[in-house]
Amino acid sequence: MWALASAQVFAQGGQAPPSLLAHHVTVSGGLVWTGGYSIGDATAVLRGNAVGATAAPFTLFDAHSSVDGSVGVEGHVGFAVTPTLTVEGGVSYQRPGISTDLSQDAEAAAVTLDAEHLVQYLFDAAVVWQIPTVGLGTRIQPFVVVGGGYLRQLYDERTVVETGSVYYAGAGVRYWLRGGDGQNRSVGRRPDGRAMWRLDGVDFENRTRVAPMVTVHMFLEF
Amino acid sequence: MTRAVAVLLTAVLTLAQSAPAHAYLKFGFRIGGQTVDVKWANAAVRYFVNERDIPGVTAPDMRAAVARAAATWQAVPGTTLRFADQGFTTASPVGLDGRNTLGFLDRPDLDRVLGATSLLIDSSTGALVEADIFFNTRFTWSVAPQGEAGRVDVESVVLHELGHFVGLGHSAIGETERTATGGRRVLGSGAVMFPIALTPGATADRVLQDDDEAAVQDLYTADAGNRTSGSITGRVTKNGRGVYGAHVVAFHPESGRIVGGFSLNANGDFVIAGLDPGPHIVRVEPLDDADVESFLSGDVDVDFRAAYAPRMVVAPAGGSSGAVEVQVAPK
Repeated sequence: MWALASAQVFAQGGQAPPSLLAHHVTVSGGLVWTGGYSIGDATAVLRGNAVGATAAPFTLFDAHSSVDGSVGVEGHVGFAVTPTLTVEGGVSYQRPGISTDLSQDAEAAAVTLDAEHLVQYLFDAAVVWQIPTVGLGTRIQPFVVVGGGYLRQLYDERTVVETGSVYYAGAGVRYWLRGGDGQNRSVGRRPDGRAMWRLDGVDFENRTRVAPMVTVHMFLEF
Repeated sequence: MTRAVAVLLTAVLTLAQSAPAHAYLKFGFRIGGQTVDVKWANAAVRYFVNERDIPGVTAPDMRAAVARAAATWQAVPGTTLRFADQGFTTASPVGLDGRNTLGFLDRPDLDRVLGATSLLIDSSTGALVEADIFFNTRFTWSVAPQGEAGRVDVESVVLHELGHFVGLGHSAIGETERTATGGRRVLGSGAVMFPIALTPGATADRVLQDDDEAAVQDLYTADAGNRTSGSITGRVTKNGRGVYGAHVVAFHPESGRIVGGFSLNANGDFVIAGLDPGPHIVRVEPLDDADVESFLSGDVDVDFRAAYAPRMVVAPAGGSSGAVEVQVAPK
């Protein structure tokens, strides 16, 4: 089977690469995985005791917190401006946990707290450019994607909301199961990998964080 | 009006009786089976300063230090607390005379007490009627702007005593070690209302800490209907039974604020109010860094090891967290 498929790709190498139909709408959906990232160190300190106004602080305990990696679902609607350029928007839903390690407590052993889970939504928009590569056959074409969006995170009790921004850039491939020939509607798979920059949201130091992000979608062209 | 006898509170160096039965950073008074906050009902609390000079501190020095400390308390945002300086008086800073008086007093018998506040409470409402503060001349005092080694800073002690003056109890946010003479030395303090003073000459207690501010905001909130701070409720248990008198601290990692409270009944229930909205790390420890009587009366359990709530606890804006249980183990 592998030999047969390779021969077929080779035979079609001279044909035009697959693409979406211009001015058509594409719907995609699938799974998204976001890697974990630190959200900051914090030290509970008391004022030290010395003559004058200041003294070396006394550490009650140290805390290091991170958002754990998590898998969620994602959906996008895209519009093909040209056969190789698509603008899209969508939403993802994830339930990442926040882990906290406590240490340096003179009166208690180091401990890792149970995860506090978040309900997380990302509303995003992106531009997808299909790289005009030849020689990959009639089913696969690489693309690059850049985008950004609005992050909304709720703690498990849904009583406190944190908001922030997300920006990402990455690359992936479209793999056509059907269509892509300029005549018929496309159906296929779309895996990609991205680097994600997250601003604000749940973060104890209010710093920009970077994490990997992987999505695997099915897409359907209308 | 029925008036109850004052409750005497020592300020900095240990020992006095705390408010009857219940206190969560603020004094409580039992009326008809319920505990009410002890606080001033009027908008501006009037006070006089005794005209006595002592070596190193003149009466005008004392009056200026009191004014600075009063301004510090009333500068806490979101509170209605106000003070009104009425000038000098010859009245003693103890005794019932209808005047709130602050001043120096010779109390050589109290060799560990820097100052003390006495409160007269209306037993029908819990409202404060009169309060006096004395500062013990057994010690040497200073009003030097940067502090003086070996001399107790007047403004720091006034700030602490004014906390009692407005109805606040002691905070347990502090760590101490035993000294060779049997006393305690502060290693670190997270509240002006910690019952043990910093080293003579230290002036760090001229600045209110988060725990102090949370307490006075809780007691004299300017707009109770529009409260933006949150609270955490829960229970401390040991072997399945409630722990009375555990010290509970909530730490907000984002702001670094530390606010404390106590489990105040046999069921081990606690409430910590005045918190920033968001997740907190909740830590429980026994009341073993000062005399237990500085905080609470009754059979306080100190036989357990420090422990944490199993997960971070989220304080919602204007509301309270779901109940969290912190299990502690015997020492």
